[in-house]
Amino acid sequence: MTYSWHLEMIWDYRQVFARGVVVTLQLTIIALACGVVLGLVFGLMRGARNWLLSMPAMIYIETFRSTPTLVQLVWIYYALPMLTGVQLSAFNSVALGLGLHTAAYLAEIFRAGVNSIDRGQMMAAKAIGMTYFQAMRRIILPQATRRMVPPFINEFATLIKLTSLGSVVAVPEILHEANNVISATFRPLEVYTAVAVVFALIACPMIFVARLLERMLTARS
Amino acid sequence: MSAEPVIQIRNLHKSFGELTVLHGIDLSVAKGEVLAIIGPSGSGKSTLLRCINRLEDYQEGTIEFLGQSMGYDISGGRRRPLPEAVIAKRRARLGMVFQNFNLFPHKTVMENLIEGPIIVKREAREQARKRAMTLLSKVGLAEKADIYPNRLSGGQQQRAAIARALAMEPEAMLFDEPTSSLDPELVGEVLEVMKALAREGMTMVVVTHEMGFAREVAHQVVMMDRGVIVESGVPADFFSRPKEQRTRDFLSKVL
Ligand SMILES: Nc1ncnc2c1ncn2[C@@H]1O[C@H](COP(=O)(O)OP(=O)(O)OP(=O)(O)O)[C@@H](O)[C@H]1O
Ligand SMILES: [Mg+2]
Repeated sequence: MTYSWHLEMIWDYRQVFARGVVVTLQLTIIALACGVVLGLVFGLMRGARNWLLSMPAMIYIETFRSTPTLVQLVWIYYALPMLTGVQLSAFNSVALGLGLHTAAYLAEIFRAGVNSIDRGQMMAAKAIGMTYFQAMRRIILPQATRRMVPPFINEFATLIKLTSLGSVVAVPEILHEANNVISATFRPLEVYTAVAVVFALIACPMIFVARLLERMLTARS
Repeated sequence: MSAEPVIQIRNLHKSFGELTVLHGIDLSVAKGEVLAIIGPSGSGKSTLLRCINRLEDYQEGTIEFLGQSMGYDISGGRRRPLPEAVIAKRRARLGMVFQNFNLFPHKTVMENLIEGPIIVKREAREQARKRAMTLLSKVGLAEKADIYPNRLSGGQQQRAAIARALAMEPEAMLFDEPTSSLDPELVGEVLEVMKALAREGMTMVVVTHEMGFAREVAHQVVMMDRGVIVESGVPADFFSRPKEQRTRDFLSKVL
């Protein structure tokens, strides 16, 4: 059985793919921003001595780490409105869901990074009169960041790929746009191959830049 | 020496969970005084120092630094931890030097010195740099200002760490075995810096195994064992006529 490829049809639909890429990138950036901020907060809370802070953070982190991402997204899109009466758009639901998901993983990365810094650094910072937050910002996090870069890159690449789950609730990201093209053309082989290639093209340069960054950071210390 | 002590510790009790590490410590350090603390490993010397600048919490007793509580507010009969910002402010006037130096590895020697003055005291960068340079010359590290700590020898790192503490212009200094992790040939250069400080009248609490230093520089020597002060006195008496058997045993081991 021989299949006759018609890769040129991808070119005809390039604008549709481009739109999908834009949405995928938007989702990635919003979820990442959300994930970094919340992840930092939860990561610091998780490491706190006071269990009133660490307990909620732990529950949050473990909940998100032990449930499927797809379930989290559909839950936010379909179930949350029934609880709160607020219906988020499909795009916002997915952005929020991926943001919360990423936050849980980044929180663990932040915590591990902070824990890897010698206890003496915090003591030395406090001994010159810094508060906990000053010490974190000026002394601990700048050192911890370097050790966080490799797992952070991993999480980032995962996030890019996870945006494809948005297709389930009809967010017009790459995969969803591709499905539309398939319904019009009946050419899943070409289209899905193109989807894979496009994802690889987005993720590869980002991972490459991050690697470069990592090398620069380690070179300086 | 003036009447008002710089550091006043009364009935200090400290435990880590079930393990009680300090069983009622009373100590007072006058202005310009050098207090040496000696004692076997695990006797609670480091813990005591860390309580003094409230890097550790403690369960009972009071510690006053320049007449102000370090740690707890006991007015009104209840004992409440002081707010972190208040402790940080008081701590800024009490320098500390660690066994492992704890320089900030991501900052140059100069940046290590100006970090506190700029971030904590909100000093102008130029002014902070100027004083830092003077201090670096004083500890013999003027040419090392723009180098990262991992390029320095242990002795140089410890001298930089002392300069970092001095950059805050502290009223007193705590030293936790400042020479214990140094190669023997590097101990002298750090002790010289400390002696110079003592001569200038810095109030100092020094945990040390350097008996020569304690005998020569300290005004008061305290022997700790298992969380209590076993014996204290002026160095001349303390080293030549120790009263307690535990002190005699310890001295015979280290001298
Ligand atoms: N963070 C901690 N948690 C639990 N126990 C601790 C902690 N820090 C110290 N200890 C215990 O407290 C006791 C006193 O320790 P400390 O470090 O104050 O002794 P030290 O006199 O400084 O000893 P060394 O000469 O070895 O430095 C030891 O039994 C130690 O195991
Ligand atoms: Mg110790």
